[in-house]
Amino acid sequence: MKRYALLKTLVPVMRDSLVICNIGIPSQELFAIEDRDNHFYMLGSMGLCTSIALGLSLNTTKNVIALEGDGSMLMNLSTLATIGNRGPNNLFAVIIDNGSYGSTGDQASYTSAATSLAGIARAAGCERVVECDGDAAAKHLERALNEGQSTLIIAKVESGNEPVPVVPLHPVVLRERFRICVSH
Amino acid sequence: MNAPFSRQIIDTLKDKQVTFFTSVPCKLLANMITLLEQDTAVAYHPATREDEGLGMCAGASLAGKTTCILMQDSGLGTIINALAALVQFYQLPIVMLMSYRGSPGEPVPAQAPMGMLTPELLKLMQIPMLHCHEAKDLNEIASYVDFARVKQGPVVILLDFHLMSGDQ
Repeated sequence: MKRYALLKTLVPVMRDSLVICNIGIPSQELFAIEDRDNHFYMLGSMGLCTSIALGLSLNTTKNVIALEGDGSMLMNLSTLATIGNRGPNNLFAVIIDNGSYGSTGDQASYTSAATSLAGIARAAGCERVVECDGDAAAKHLERALNEGQSTLIIAKVESGNEPVPVVPLHPVVLRERFRICVSH
Repeated sequence: MNAPFSRQIIDTLKDKQVTFFTSVPCKLLANMITLLEQDTAVAYHPATREDEGLGMCAGASLAGKTTCILMQDSGLGTIINALAALVQFYQLPIVMLMSYRGSPGEPVPAQAPMGMLTPELLKLMQIPMLHCHEAKDLNEIASYVDFARVKQGPVVILLDFHLMSGDQ
């Protein structure tokens, strides 16, 4: 299973949540599968997906899901410490771990070798961390949402991207339609 | 702790409905951080890095909140991309309360290089800056919070070393 197939399984589970989607091809693939107002596509600022989701989750009672990647998580590991100490129970993250930097040419990331994001997250204080194959991620996410327990799901998939176009929406349009979702 | 300037700054931001705060610490901001830690009327969650803090502010902004990050000017070097490609790109109002460590009075040599660059970097990025040299300058903070909302972008309140080091 690759990222695109995993995202297809996640979309039906995320319809009632606020979704912050990682920069680059992950956002492009999610947009191609199903564009929804509750999707906030990051168009820049690699590394900040889970931090944006954290800030949002601290200011809403709705469930917030970060669709994170291994490369971008490695870029901002210390936010796991903030989540471990301050993360509320309506914050969820699916870290799509394909062991590579997919948007820049599939260069190998360190999670393809010695580094465990699950181990880092647990050591940072995150209580509920699940590591699973990609095809089990939707089931784990659905369960976590139903139980109302903040959970980080590290979903292992193969490297590889779907040939999809860039997200054609203006950032202020994305911001406004997403804010309406947050407030309703 | 009397810290009248620190109290005035936090009170001004609260009066202007800034309700979400984050910070990366500085000794010049320590009194304000203490006030925020003790304040149950606002949300305050420390960040580990300035760019993480901006991400948190951006998320809070998507929930309609006006937010504030407290940080040193040296942290500006860490967040150019987050400012340009997130805060400015999506047009999010964020108040950046920045201690001007690289200004006269600073005893640490390594603070000087970023201090020399800070005003020029902010100008280059077209980020409005209120440079507070003395107490009366703090009276302008409220209008800069309004301007962040009007302009839908970041504003910087730059606090001179001499001004804040005397605020005990």
